[in-house]
Amino acid sequence: MATLSIKGVRKSFGSVEVLHNIDLELEDGGFLVLLGPSGCGKSTLLSIIAGLEPSSGGDVVIGDRTVNDVHPKDRNIAMVFQSYALYPTMSVRRNIGFGLEMRRVDTSSREDAIARAADLLQISHLLDRKPGQLSGGQRQRVAMGRAIVRNPDLFLFDEPLSNLDAKLRVEMRTEIKRLHDRLGTSVVYVTHDQVEAMTLGTKVAVMKGGVIQQLADPQTIYEKPANMFVAGFIGSPTMNFLTGTLEQHNGGLALHHGSAVLALTDIEPGAEAFVGKQVVAGIRPETFSKGEGPSSLTGTVDVVEPTGPDTMVVLDVGGQMISARLGSRERPHPGEPMTLNVDTSALNLFDPDTGNRI
Amino acid sequence: MNKNFNRRSVLKIGAGLMAATALTPSLAFGQTANINYWHTFTSQSEFAGLEEVMKLFKAAHPDIVVTQENIPNPDFMAKITAAVLADSRPNVTMVSSERFADLLAMGALTDMTERLSSWDKRSDFDDSRFDSITKDGKIYGLPAFSFVDWMYYRKDWFEEAGIAPPTTYAEMRDAAIAITDPSKGRYGFGLRGGPGGQNYINNVMEAFGSPVQQGDQIGLDRDKAIEGIAWFSGLLTQDKVVPPSAPNDGFRQVIEGFQTGQTGMIWHHTGSFQDIASKLEPGVEFGTLAMPAGPAARVARLAYAYNSITKDENADASWEWIKFWGEPDAAIAFLDKTGYFPASNSASADPRIADNPLYKPAAETLVFGRPQPSFPGLAGWLESVVLPAFQRALIGEATPEQAVDEMIDGLNQAIG
Amino acid sequence: MTSNPQSIMASSRPLSTWDRINPARYIGELSETRFWMYLLLLPSALLIMGVVIYPTLYGFQLSFREMRLNRPDLGTDWVLLKHYQRMLSDQIFWISLRNTAVWVTAAVIIEFSVGLIAALALNRNLPGTKVLAVFILLPFFLPNVVAGHMWALMLDPRLGVINDLLVKVGLLGGYKAWFADPSTAMAAAIIVEAWHSFPFFTLLLLAGLKGVPSDLYKAADIDGAGSISQLRLITLPMLKTVIAAAVILRVIGLVNSPDLLLILTSGGPGRSTQVLSLYAFQTAYKDFNFGYAGALSVIMFIFLMMFAWVYVRLSKVNQD
Repeated sequence: MATLSIKGVRKSFGSVEVLHNIDLELEDGGFLVLLGPSGCGKSTLLSIIAGLEPSSGGDVVIGDRTVNDVHPKDRNIAMVFQSYALYPTMSVRRNIGFGLEMRRVDTSSREDAIARAADLLQISHLLDRKPGQLSGGQRQRVAMGRAIVRNPDLFLFDEPLSNLDAKLRVEMRTEIKRLHDRLGTSVVYVTHDQVEAMTLGTKVAVMKGGVIQQLADPQTIYEKPANMFVAGFIGSPTMNFLTGTLEQHNGGLALHHGSAVLALTDIEPGAEAFVGKQVVAGIRPETFSKGEGPSSLTGTVDVVEPTGPDTMVVLDVGGQMISARLGSRERPHPGEPMTLNVDTSALNLFDPDTGNRI
Repeated sequence: MNKNFNRRSVLKIGAGLMAATALTPSLAFGQTANINYWHTFTSQSEFAGLEEVMKLFKAAHPDIVVTQENIPNPDFMAKITAAVLADSRPNVTMVSSERFADLLAMGALTDMTERLSSWDKRSDFDDSRFDSITKDGKIYGLPAFSFVDWMYYRKDWFEEAGIAPPTTYAEMRDAAIAITDPSKGRYGFGLRGGPGGQNYINNVMEAFGSPVQQGDQIGLDRDKAIEGIAWFSGLLTQDKVVPPSAPNDGFRQVIEGFQTGQTGMIWHHTGSFQDIASKLEPGVEFGTLAMPAGPAARVARLAYAYNSITKDENADASWEWIKFWGEPDAAIAFLDKTGYFPASNSASADPRIADNPLYKPAAETLVFGRPQPSFPGLAGWLESVVLPAFQRALIGEATPEQAVDEMIDGLNQAIG
Repeated sequence: MTSNPQSIMASSRPLSTWDRINPARYIGELSETRFWMYLLLLPSALLIMGVVIYPTLYGFQLSFREMRLNRPDLGTDWVLLKHYQRMLSDQIFWISLRNTAVWVTAAVIIEFSVGLIAALALNRNLPGTKVLAVFILLPFFLPNVVAGHMWALMLDPRLGVINDLLVKVGLLGGYKAWFADPSTAMAAAIIVEAWHSFPFFTLLLLAGLKGVPSDLYKAADIDGAGSISQLRLITLPMLKTVIAAAVILRVIGLVNSPDLLLILTSGGPGRSTQVLSLYAFQTAYKDFNFGYAGALSVIMFIFLMMFAWVYVRLSKVNQD
């Protein structure tokens, strides 16, 4: 078990820089999720941590050891690949024990370790099979078995669930979480799935274009996104962005959008500077409730999508579409006028020029 | 000079005729006959000679188109066998004497006796010229040119060493010992122990008194043959007057060895004269000699490359082509490019041959030279039994006795 | 077959005269039966019979007959096992058999090793490997005859570049006649053969290597396997099927083609490079003994079948 810090790591392929000056800290036993769309550099960063890919600058420190020039096998890490990367010609037993075999661990302690890992992952009955004879979920478990058998300092997961079907993905997600709770080993986990990021991570780094947009716990990422990219990337349906003017209002501040006025509470200190200027308000769909209130918007119902627990309503407010998550009993009809109240304490303000949070 | 003049004038005539035919297509009246010709010419000079003859033929017979096809010697029997079996034979095929018996036995050849007897130039050829293409009184080909065995020697080296050109095997061996100098990379004799060497091995055995064929008798005199093999292989194993590469040296290697000054004497026929003259100065650096005499006989082969009709179709056109090689013009043009002796008397009497001292040994050989033996299975026995057995003696893997026993066993297989 | 609208219609109304004689209808009905499959296979079966099976059987029957093209007087009678009996006491056959084993084994081992090294190098996708690939594959595009003559010249004891180089480097005291010495003739021929044909392995192994996921090597890096272990435990097992196919194809090629040896040594000096294919070739086309040559070919055929069977068994290719 160990901490991980990434200090000013850069990576370029030729003249193209794919990682710009990355700084990261992960506490011992933490679960760091690298989240972002494809091409954001998250997998490259993971490869640099693993040592499979050299960085173009900066330091990778695992525990108290700078491992820049250390071979992957000596970093005491374990990795689970998206493709699982099981050795097709070896039995499950040998796959799991391969790292130990290569480290010349004697047979009996190797067998013990394999048995423990297999037991933990409930794959003891599969040990003599070849990977080709396993289902996707079973292969996933073997890949994890291969990772945990060596008690590494750090687990690295590279989109481990993306080859599984939806149901299995949820199951395995829970499994990974349980495993992490049980073993307490630090984890770096790469995914493009925000649900995995939110459910698993103790820390989430949202990446885009080779830059970390925000590094925080999942709650903060969700509630106080650092910029419009993070705000838009996290949450489904995505956050509503409503452009308006910030004005003084009853001793506080309010957002004017057409005829609507949204009185703001819990104002961030920097907001004063934007009085009289255009700002973008980010409003999560679930912060709407039906009916008049201190800060309400009125529009015409455009689309109604009942999902079971909720009813999603798309409202046309003066030409701008707003998604709102309402209770399942709400069944408005398209074309009806509707008024929604906003819980402005959960509202985020962004600078339209930079996209950054105010 | 002579050569250049000829070549240029021939080119001019050829070019002029070609132009004439192009302008007045009616000249080539009637239909054109296409014939193809399979031959085993290998060297550049041989090709030049063939081209020359074809050019002359084209001028004389614009209505016959000859397509020549080179069949390398090692593939020749395979190709012709396949062609006979598949009935895709060429119109005319070059047949060397040692292949005659096999080709005739497989039915590849056409009886040409009648055509020959009604030919006006038949009297230009001695009857003996047809011996090795005749079976049961039927003649199956017309000689195109001769292979007259002789030897080349380094005149300058012999003069330097103060020794006379050899006339017997014993003298030849002494001379070889005298001029061999490994420190200079010089060897006395370029022994052909690789592909094609089988004929010389057979000649040596005959020269020691063991001819493989005497009339209807086929067989070896074991003791005499052993003596021959012991003497011949001894040139490498005992006397070391032969380059160590001998067991793998074929035509190219033997000629190159002489051209590059590695060897002082080689056995071949007149056909390589121009090739050697292109590297060494005739009469100064190298000279020519008749084959030396062995203890029992002086064996130099007079062999002929025959042209034979191998397909009924267009046989008249084929005959024109075959006859043409017997014309003095064609024969001299070919000699000029290669050194191969004509087979016809009128051509041999040409002053360019008769007055050239370097050709004198060949003329002498015409007197005492003897034809190749000929019986079915001979070529195969020579190539796949005699040659490897002799090679085993050369590399010290077998004694001359063992090698000869192998040859005798193989001969019994071949004719049994 | 499930019924389609047409067949329902056809069966529900009486057949017209045209329907009864319409050939398309018969073919249509035939196509619904299980015989159709065999009918479709018939043309290719006939083709295979004509092109493959007939000549093979012809060769087999040849080996039981007297068939000497230059000896029509002997006839072409059946001689049962005469040729096979002769083989037992034929020294040259046994020498050729032993030489064939040496020739094939050594050539395959060298070709495979060099081919594998070249394939691994080319698979690294370093800059310049594309150009290098063309150069490495070049020998294979040369016909055997051309390659043979080229090497015969390069190894020539008088003019050969190789001798010159070896003497200059100091590895050799003087020019050596590689093909004239029984102790080097076979080795030199094997090297020429290996030079000519290793790209065959490179080509197939490279295709196989492209199919090995790169993640496996990353996983192995992390698991601590060095490059030798990776080659032994991952690459080679992953290439098993390709290797088996390549080795069998190459062995068949080596056993059956005499051309390179024909050019380089003609089986000599003595019989030190005589192999079965060359012996069969010479027996057929120099001695014109097609019966005995047929028997030699049958023996080669049987050996190759046995080899392929045993090899596939041992390499357990069929297991996966």
